[in-house]
Amino acid sequence: MKPKHLVSFACAMLAAAALAPAAAHHSFAAVFDGSKIVTLDGTIKEFKFVNPHALATIDVTDDKGAVQPWTVEFDGRLNLTNFGWTDATIRSGERVKISGNPERTGAPRIFFSKLVRADGTAVVRGGDRLNAIEEDRRLRAAQRATSTPAK
Amino acid sequence: MFGIATTLVLLLTLAIAACSAPPTPAATPPQTRPDLAGMWSDPPRTALDSFCFMACTETGLKHLAALLDDPANDARPYEGLMGESVGYQAAEYLRPRMTDAGLATSPLDPLADRGYLYCEPWGFARQAFAPHQLEIKQDADSVDLHYGEWDAHRTVYLDGRSVPADQVHTPLGYSVGHYEGDTLVVETTHVTEGDGTLMAWDGRHSDQLTAVERYRRPNPERLELTATLTDPWALREPVEFKKVWRFAPDQEIGPYDSCEPAAAKSAEGKAQ
Repeated sequence: MKPKHLVSFACAMLAAAALAPAAAHHSFAAVFDGSKIVTLDGTIKEFKFVNPHALATIDVTDDKGAVQPWTVEFDGRLNLTNFGWTDATIRSGERVKISGNPERTGAPRIFFSKLVRADGTAVVRGGDRLNAIEEDRRLRAAQRATSTPAK
Repeated sequence: MFGIATTLVLLLTLAIAACSAPPTPAATPPQTRPDLAGMWSDPPRTALDSFCFMACTETGLKHLAALLDDPANDARPYEGLMGESVGYQAAEYLRPRMTDAGLATSPLDPLADRGYLYCEPWGFARQAFAPHQLEIKQDADSVDLHYGEWDAHRTVYLDGRSVPADQVHTPLGYSVGHYEGDTLVVETTHVTEGDGTLMAWDGRHSDQLTAVERYRRPNPERLELTATLTDPWALREPVEFKKVWRFAPDQEIGPYDSCEPAAAKSAEGKAQ
């Protein structure tokens, strides 16, 4: 990867972190691979709604029936509160599919990006903010269209 | 003659007493100071304000605004436009203002981040632009800035004092301030060397860092910070960063007691 591309990649990672600044207390890029997504299908064992990062343990059963506990790291309680989360947003015993960026070392740990419950409803990282930003962009585009003189 | 001499001695005594007296309190009565108090959180949820979740610059904001106003970018993801603007402000604003010594530290090695390795709380430059809650409490002679990140506090003294002669350098430095109309002006010195701001300044600063922060509440729902940072070791000239918060009275700052130092985890792994 050329240096210029590295800078662009780093900027994109910074931008993503800024939208839901999970990696504020440590560097996201140092720990997690932002270019990859892993999806876990399992049962929530524990959800800790704490600072600096909320944590969940999810038991994932492989094809041979062996259970592998994975750790899911979230934004901190500080930011999750902004998104309307509480300590009851994710419940122990709940069957879910959780997607996220894997840890670079290969350890069973991901950084949360999306959760899909058994009933199909989804929780997306920073979802409300991203929706609001896109709405703001649509308004800007609409204003631009009305203010541009017709040719 | 005796009367004139007595008068002169008296005036001289008064002058000496005035010079050696404690500083006159410059406390601002509540009715005349701007109301900045309360809990502040993430920025208003607009495309431009979200760019200032952490430190941003006028250069970066203008670039992002231009990208947003170009119809060719309407279909591009916002993260891409934001990332491009972060890169633009680094290349066009910050790096030309950095000294060779400052540039030599940039970009920072994320694996050397002491917050990550040792759960070491952030210093001033990071904390002032932290992307988390800021709770402000205003008293007659001081302001308390309480940060969600690291549950850290800064005290800004408004009583007209000078920095103590024996003041040591600390990560958050020593801050004195005053009000100018609707603005709280904070001057900070005696900051230990540390990392620059998140997003806008990806490099180290020295213990010569000083800052002038200006906090303003243009409407009840919005708090703005404009800060000028100076460091003759890292910067050729002062740089100006901005940040914005939205009023969030329903939020609270929780305990910051679950930080896991990566260095300890790494040591555990090697021991096994």
